[in-house]
Amino acid sequence: MKGHGFWGDVKKYKILLLMLVPAVLFFLLFAYIPMAGIVLAFKQYNYAGGIFGSPWNGLDNFRFFFDSGDAWRVTRNTALYNIAFIVVNNLLQIFAAILLFEVAGKWFRKITQTVMFLPYFISWVVVGAIAYNLFNFDVGTVNVLLNKLGMESVDIYNTAAYWPVILVLVSAWKTLGYGTIMYLAAITSIDTEMYEAAEIDGANIFQRIRKITIPNLMPTVIILVLLAIGNIFRGDFGMFYNMVGNNGLLFSSTDVIDTFVFRSLITSNEIGMSAAAGFYQSILGFATIMLANYAVRKYDRDHALF
Amino acid sequence: MKLKNKRFTFLLAMVLVISTFLSACGDKGGGGGASGNANGATGTNSQASDGADLSKEVKLKMLLVGGKPADYDEVSGELNKLLKEKINATVETEFLDWADWTQKYPLKFAANEDFDLVYTANWAFYNDQARKGGFLELTEDMLKTYMPKTWEAMPQVSWEQAKVDGKLYMVPNNNQEVTDKVVFIREDLRKKYNMEPINSPETYAAYVKTVGANEKGFNAFGAKPADGWKWHELDQILLEQQNEWNLVDYSIPLAYKLADEKGQVFNVYDTPEFKQLIAYYKDLADNKAWSKNIVSNKNDVWQDIKAGKTGSYAHTLGTLGANLAEMRRDKPEFEGAIVDLTPDKKKIGAISTQNGMAIHATSKNVERSLMLLDLLQNDKEIHDLTMYGIVGKHYEPVGDDKYKAGPSAANYTGFSNWGWNSLLNRTDASYPVEADEILKAWQEKVYHFPLETFVFDDSKVKNEVANVGNVMLRYAIPLEYGLINDLDKGHAELIKQLKSAGIDKIQQELQSQIDVFLAAQK
Amino acid sequence: MNATVSTAGGTGTDLRPAARKNRSKDRLILAVIGYTALTLLALFCIFPFLLVVSSSLTEESGIIENGFQLIPTSFSTEAYRILFEYPADMLKAYAVTFTVTALGTFFGLFLTSMTAYVLSRKDFKWRNTFSFFFFFTTLFSGGLVPWYLLIVNYLELKDTLIVLILPMLMNVFYIIVMKSFMGSIPEAIVESAKIDGAGDFQIYVRFILPLSKPALATIGLFIALAYWNDWYNALLFISNEDLMPLQYYLYRLLGNMDGMRKAMMASGAVITTNLPTESLKMAMTIVATGPILLAYPFIQRYFVQGLTIGAVKG
Repeated sequence: MKGHGFWGDVKKYKILLLMLVPAVLFFLLFAYIPMAGIVLAFKQYNYAGGIFGSPWNGLDNFRFFFDSGDAWRVTRNTALYNIAFIVVNNLLQIFAAILLFEVAGKWFRKITQTVMFLPYFISWVVVGAIAYNLFNFDVGTVNVLLNKLGMESVDIYNTAAYWPVILVLVSAWKTLGYGTIMYLAAITSIDTEMYEAAEIDGANIFQRIRKITIPNLMPTVIILVLLAIGNIFRGDFGMFYNMVGNNGLLFSSTDVIDTFVFRSLITSNEIGMSAAAGFYQSILGFATIMLANYAVRKYDRDHALF
Repeated sequence: MKLKNKRFTFLLAMVLVISTFLSACGDKGGGGGASGNANGATGTNSQASDGADLSKEVKLKMLLVGGKPADYDEVSGELNKLLKEKINATVETEFLDWADWTQKYPLKFAANEDFDLVYTANWAFYNDQARKGGFLELTEDMLKTYMPKTWEAMPQVSWEQAKVDGKLYMVPNNNQEVTDKVVFIREDLRKKYNMEPINSPETYAAYVKTVGANEKGFNAFGAKPADGWKWHELDQILLEQQNEWNLVDYSIPLAYKLADEKGQVFNVYDTPEFKQLIAYYKDLADNKAWSKNIVSNKNDVWQDIKAGKTGSYAHTLGTLGANLAEMRRDKPEFEGAIVDLTPDKKKIGAISTQNGMAIHATSKNVERSLMLLDLLQNDKEIHDLTMYGIVGKHYEPVGDDKYKAGPSAANYTGFSNWGWNSLLNRTDASYPVEADEILKAWQEKVYHFPLETFVFDDSKVKNEVANVGNVMLRYAIPLEYGLINDLDKGHAELIKQLKSAGIDKIQQELQSQIDVFLAAQK
Repeated sequence: MNATVSTAGGTGTDLRPAARKNRSKDRLILAVIGYTALTLLALFCIFPFLLVVSSSLTEESGIIENGFQLIPTSFSTEAYRILFEYPADMLKAYAVTFTVTALGTFFGLFLTSMTAYVLSRKDFKWRNTFSFFFFFTTLFSGGLVPWYLLIVNYLELKDTLIVLILPMLMNVFYIIVMKSFMGSIPEAIVESAKIDGAGDFQIYVRFILPLSKPALATIGLFIALAYWNDWYNALLFISNEDLMPLQYYLYRLLGNMDGMRKAMMASGAVITTNLPTESLKMAMTIVATGPILLAYPFIQRYFVQGLTIGAVKG
């Protein structure tokens, strides 16, 4: 087997390689070829020159971002929000998935699971409208309730401190059903024989969850977290924009790279500048994921992404 | 057997997919060459001859923004009959929906798609598209030769305003409007509380404060911050009109005084007038003139007014006039009125580039396209048809300059045929008389000034403009809506942030452009 | 080789541990925690959706006056009437979406699982190289312009049904999740199949696919949802009204009003519209979600039931 060299390996894995052909072609065509557009980040784009013919302008397109004095703030916000989303969302999803698997009532399981999926279908525009309906100062449901209980109204839309909590909750709510399904599928894929063996050993249900379910879920958890880490510097624009909008008072705690760039470029519409911001996010994401993947590889080769 | 069948299906699927990929790859080479050629052939065939050669029939393509009206095809059929006769051409229109035109519009140019005419406007990235080489430069010769009627009807000022870096890329609309904003109020509430007529910032403040204090669950003033709008909705009235300033561009806080011949530019935030204004706003906010959450408001203000939840808002005269007519029709229990808070101040004419049409840089039918524009804007028959639709169906003409909506008016409206607004435009016969009167009074005292045709080229300070815009949204808006309690501190912070965003550099650049502009005029 | 996989529950005896009649204390505690927590989470999720349903059935003026309420203050089906004003268009949009979703999910799931299987094979020498090749595309992208040029000028796919399917056919996220699921299938199965003389493709079709039912159901659902909800490809590449998918059809209805209002402000033009935007937004959510919710229980059984791998080893 050994020593056949590259072509020997090709022959050996002929079928497997053939099975990869469609995917490789797909990503070459739809991802790698358009990637040439990255050069726009370093160009002064015009129509006659197009992507390759437009003149270079060095790092000029990056200046609006780094000269703003907000680069650090929005980059930090983006990463912190995403870390919070990763931790909270995944924990909640795993928790829900384990419970869904363990509770007995078949109909109860089906119905709760369906219901948990509902928020996924509500667009961010509608979520933003509902949030305003709940939280606004004058007639918002939250304040009406507080007043009925004899408490003071809270001015949520003018207080930056509430927003990290609100946004983390909203994100957890919106993604609950989607993520739970993934974990539920992972739990379902665990060989039931393992449970039986544990039961024969006299383990109680909590021990079984701790000793079998959770360890078996770990590969899925690690993969999902790694995938999320690659995008840790990309903010969910739809969410932040529809929840916060152009409310300057909240920016200190809610501004992420994507909303910041959107606001900066809305009147100038400059392709090169948005390409530059995207490239910045890519580089940071790339560095982070390489580190994270390296760390996972050291701990267990099989669980790493690549 | 069953298994084999399944395998066959999978194999088939795989073959199908792979072949799709292969054919896709094949296309790549061919398409590439073609588009490359098209790029190279820019505008060479436009100056064929002096007189227009109409012997060959051409098919023009026009790009408009807005949803396609239900009855467009019918109107288009009529239009093409006329065009065939007049310039031996037909036109086919593609509509870029309001929902997504901002994304699609630049892509049409980037991909060099085939079209001849395109809607453009200062708010639709006109300068930007022109600088990127999206439009064909229009020379005076071309205009005189192919657009004689328009050349005659259009004031020189309008052409000047449409120039980017000294070159013309747009046939602007010819609509002598006034840009001043006015306020819609609830006249019945004013009467209820026995207040004097509203015609100044002070009388308006009295109205909002009284209404805010006495009407339960009611906002005396409403606004819905739109994307990228960086001002208080009353700023145009209370800052610009009241002080007779002119903001050079709404994305930066730099202005000059209308009467200043030297065109000295200053930062409007750094003036005593602005400090007074934020105190005025703060006083209104503290007296419940508007919702504490006005900056996050997601409701449509006009709908709120119609529902009796909001007592005033600011907009252009045209829109408020239409609103007033609508209120009279749908909500007779309320009485609305349009008030001008700065009646005695100088009025400015609308900039011509608010609407217009341009020729695609790679159009192959430049002559015929210009001729079409000439007809759209200045041929009575074609103008009426394209603006108002078919007589008896979409509108009824009333005299020469008015119209009444027809039974299917709704099936021919809502898109940017405003690109060829002109003196031939008709006004709605149901439009309120008082709005018309205000407009007439304004038009008589439109103020003309040397910088009227000046347009700022921000390409050298793009980064600073982006950052200043961000600062305005973040620091100025909350200050203006009275959300910051310590005005002095908030104001100092705004000025400080503007400095670090590079306002001085923009100001210098702007001033030097203005100086050059004024020197050239002498 | 006995190549059947049995799903527990349903037809056979329910092997899920919790379902057994063994009422010990820990089970009771878990049941209490489970029912309480899940009920709370479900309420948390259903409440806003009920607001949406109710608001879609409320008169526009009612929403403006009272905000969204759980029980309609003034009942009206106006929003739905407007949505279905042109029933033929709406049906066409549904048909496009169904076609695109069905084709896209079928081919997408096949290609995703096939790719994932290769990457999950621990004996495949270049699995990491290829994983990286795929993953890299999630980090860097060339942006909208080259993408648009590729599809419009080079592939010439504008205004075709293919453009709604092809660009979304494979997604790295799904491939990697699928790969991780497949990684938990015991290697012994592949080994014993090899000994029996099965080729790699045969192993994938005959053993791996049946054993991956929960994963296939999950990823299949995700792919289907992605196709179902996509409006962006249609926005960029479809101008022929006969090829407009549902979500884009709805997006345009609403977006046109918003976009027009903004444009009117800027251009000084005057148009008045009287569409009930608030209730319309809500009704759109219902119209777009309804079919998925109806189809959901049929897919659901694959991930609420256990899987016994042992049966395959048979």
